[in-house]
Amino acid sequence: MIALNKFFVEPTEHEIEKASNSYLMSLIALMAGLPFPIINLLATLIFYLGNRKGTYFVRWHCTQALLSQLSLLFVNSYGFWWTISIIFTTEKISNHYIAYMLTAIVFNVFEMIATIYTAIHTRKGKHIEWWCYGNITNAICKP
Amino acid sequence: MVILLMQFVSPNMKKIFLQISLLVILFFSVLGVLNQVDWLQLFRVEKITKSTEKKLGDLFWDLYHSSKDEIKNDSVHRIMDSLLTHICSSNQIDKKSIKLHIVKSAEVNAFALPNQHLVINTALIDSCKNESELCGVIGHEIAHMQHDHVMKKLIKEIGLSVLISITTGNAGAEKINEVIKLLTSSAYDRKLEKQADITAVDYLEKSTINPANFANFLTRLGQKETTSSQYLSWINTHPDSKERAKYIVEHCNKMAVKAKPVLADSSFSQLKKLLQ
Repeated sequence: MIALNKFFVEPTEHEIEKASNSYLMSLIALMAGLPFPIINLLATLIFYLGNRKGTYFVRWHCTQALLSQLSLLFVNSYGFWWTISIIFTTEKISNHYIAYMLTAIVFNVFEMIATIYTAIHTRKGKHIEWWCYGNITNAICKP
Repeated sequence: MVILLMQFVSPNMKKIFLQISLLVILFFSVLGVLNQVDWLQLFRVEKITKSTEKKLGDLFWDLYHSSKDEIKNDSVHRIMDSLLTHICSSNQIDKKSIKLHIVKSAEVNAFALPNQHLVINTALIDSCKNESELCGVIGHEIAHMQHDHVMKKLIKEIGLSVLISITTGNAGAEKINEVIKLLTSSAYDRKLEKQADITAVDYLEKSTINPANFANFLTRLGQKETTSSQYLSWINTHPDSKERAKYIVEHCNKMAVKAKPVLADSSFSQLKKLLQ
């Protein structure tokens, strides 16, 4: 699921730190913004916009972090509004609801583990490409 | 179509589409597998909710009952039971779970407490001109019970943690009185009231009772509301009675109800006499 690839240029210490921070940013935002999924995306988006004129290595990792947040945004938003409707309307807790929330938790936990792993390895100067997200990032982010 | 489009897409893009599709399939596969489990039974969600509801219902009724006179007259209960049984049996509702209480009060009011306690004040029965009007009110309150509006309202306005603390005896008397007041004197939100009204009309239709009389009852009490509304709790707490009567009539017009009397001719007037 996670591939350790060689980046075509050797990143500098400053680049490594910034790239690693993009994952940490999404991780902190994920923890802080669990009740409101849009916050994770906004935090990562702001960090991405702040670094969009950065070097290729930094931009690449900011884009991968942003994409991973984007897919979870849909999953978490659906779960969030479903929970709101249970609290405030006549909607009841059902087996479907619990199954959906557990699925969302499983995907969030996987994403969190992958983010921590990537942040640590990026800080060491390694280039980590996620399965699927790495390819999308390669297609979007050009040198 | 998809295959045709794929011919114009680069191999790298094809790979991305394939991986995204696999990711979506993986998500729905996990969801599908988890959907097979009966989580409500596993987490005992329904058991806990039912147990809390039962304790709350019995506690609230005991407290409300202690300050009011309940009518125990067998003849009154027999007539009221006939109406309730007729509505329940015509709509496949478990009548045994509904605990009907008739309370002596000058307040025109009827309400549902948790655990299917249905409370009807004598003044409300007296305000009804015929059995259909009374059946409309009964149907409306049964609809609140069947749609679980009572517990929903409590959880929304009081909070589940406070409700559980009430059942365990950790809440003060003030809080319990506040909850009882909430249940007996304030309405559900507009959406729930409309749902209860429309369901009540459906119940009446299946019970071969003319639902138009329920609308008449609302219109009549709505008119009284402007003059002397002190004792008209059921109308005061159910606002926009004219609007309610209007959509009930509209809903009635879609149906062709062949109304049949539920009680014998003299029974309803006998009921009113017994309550005086």
